[in-house]
Amino acid sequence: MQQPDKKVLLDMYSTMTKIRLFETEVQKFFGEGLIPGFVHLALGEEASATGTCAALKPSDMITSTHRGHGHCIAKGGDPKLMMAEIFGKSTGYCKGKGGSMHIADFNLGILGANGIVGAGGPLAVGAAFSCQYKENGGVCACFFGDGASNQGTMQESLNFASAWKLPVIFVNENNGYGISCPTSKSMAITNISDRSAAYGIPGATVDGNDVMAVYEAVSEAAKHAREGKGPTLIECKTYRWRGHFEGDPCVYRDDKELKEWMAKEPIGRFKKTLLENKVATEAELEGLKKKAEEEIAAAVKFAKESPVPKVDALLEDVYA
Amino acid sequence: MKAAIIANPISGKDIRRIVAHGSVFDNQEKVRMVRRILVGMKAAGVEEVLYMPEGYGIVPRALFDLDPHEIPASIEPVDVFLHMTQEDTVNSAALMEEAGVAVIVVMGGDGTSRAAASGARNTPILPLSTGTNNVFPVMIEATVAGLAAGVMASGGVSPAEGCYEASILEVLVDDEPRDIALIDVATYNDIFVASRAVWDITRVKQIFLSRCKPDSIGLSAIGGILESITPEEPRGLTITLDPAAPRRVRAPIGPGLFAEAGIGAVADMRPGEIVPVDLSPCILAVDGERELKVLEGQHAGVRISKDRLQVVDVERTMECARRKKLLGLCT
Repeated sequence: MQQPDKKVLLDMYSTMTKIRLFETEVQKFFGEGLIPGFVHLALGEEASATGTCAALKPSDMITSTHRGHGHCIAKGGDPKLMMAEIFGKSTGYCKGKGGSMHIADFNLGILGANGIVGAGGPLAVGAAFSCQYKENGGVCACFFGDGASNQGTMQESLNFASAWKLPVIFVNENNGYGISCPTSKSMAITNISDRSAAYGIPGATVDGNDVMAVYEAVSEAAKHAREGKGPTLIECKTYRWRGHFEGDPCVYRDDKELKEWMAKEPIGRFKKTLLENKVATEAELEGLKKKAEEEIAAAVKFAKESPVPKVDALLEDVYA
Repeated sequence: MKAAIIANPISGKDIRRIVAHGSVFDNQEKVRMVRRILVGMKAAGVEEVLYMPEGYGIVPRALFDLDPHEIPASIEPVDVFLHMTQEDTVNSAALMEEAGVAVIVVMGGDGTSRAAASGARNTPILPLSTGTNNVFPVMIEATVAGLAAGVMASGGVSPAEGCYEASILEVLVDDEPRDIALIDVATYNDIFVASRAVWDITRVKQIFLSRCKPDSIGLSAIGGILESITPEEPRGLTITLDPAAPRRVRAPIGPGLFAEAGIGAVADMRPGEIVPVDLSPCILAVDGERELKVLEGQHAGVRISKDRLQVVDVERTMECARRKKLLGLCT
């Protein structure tokens, strides 16, 4: 594959920066009690979402997880509508009634965040089947975590996708913990990509904090899928800086581990390479960051100023 | 005498399973191999083994199903902080050398052997293949590998008798040694290390080889079509790839992956002679993995080191052990 051009590289930098800023704001406002329900932040995991979505076409689809803000932003989701939804406002993606874990935008191929661990797998398989049936060359990337990888739904999805050679890219974000349980206690293997062999599909493990490693792997996986060769399993080794949810005291891991992973954080690493190789100047990157800050600030303003849903809207959009 | 084991839990899992046809080498198989190595070592009289700790626990898991009487009495991890990167192999190998082990069995691909050799330049290594492109490590039954390492660790066969001395490549950036390679160094036209593996031959501009032969795999297979250089020969080969060159070769540069390359200049490399890297900026790939960034304005070069690496030749070691009546004689 050819090295992506400057625009693609700078878009990836912008996207990761936007995710970092978005999550930081959500963390702040959740702490201030302005956000109802639960939020699961992807701080530290910006590269896996960004590298994956940058390797897809706009018409391709993704299924997301409970930790889905980064995926949605990377696939082009509108931060205003996302933030409004998280604030529980009527202008949000789900009119304020779904919250953080149900953000979706079918027009952008975002088939939804998901509050059920491992539930994205079957959705991705269905979406990929539609691409195969329609012969439209589309693919679906299925984000799932290390905890989800142990769910029956994911095993069924991998089996079905491999048996039918469906164009699914299973993107495992292995952050080492399923809620508070380390992977060393929940599975007998350390590399989730090993499971690809059981389904007769290619699998690889990449540095999930290196956006270019993810981009390269997903680009090749997408090519593989579009050629009708079926699914792949890509494991992105990464780490979440915050707890499983906001409010999680994280007593199950130590600061040394967190510091070690923060030293491998994705945005600074990528920025260093861009600057060292004169792909961009410090001023250009600062300009992109400023633009992202303005966009996220506008999203927060929009969310704060939007009305909450009216009581009589409670039963609207209820189908069952 | 002590022996040591480094088993890389991440070898055999990179992107070449997608872009080529590499096998997944699962860690349970490595566990089973370690069992056989330990039993082999014990049969040769080894009672003390150091190993590299890692996230999967290959060696501790290997101990589950083993009778204490069939394995060395002391099997201990080296005291190393784990970064979960190849640094762990480098640091563990250095600690093993410091602890005076006689031999290190290294389980992985070319990259793992390179990392071990970086940390322990003066200790014989016995490289066992569990990786992707395996030129340096051998595919041999682990029991026999354990036995060969064992007879060397027990002092029955000396390194002079059982090892071959391999040429290695040194990479210099702005005149400073920065890394080594056991088989090949390639200049890769990119600025990102990304997924590390090298599979796009159109981005490879120069290849530096410490050895090559026609039955090789990886970038050394390109050199192997032109000529053969044994690991013991104190020379190397440098090849400039030129897409427009009329002289063309087709070689297996990855598992199930052939590439056609135009051959430009070809020259011998003599020990100590620095051959400049012609591309800047670029990434230098060592033993098939993109590893080092060369920035614009930096000057990089590659040389055949005057130092050599001692590598256990299992066949030679076992033959020597047989001649000395060290093996399998029941009284």
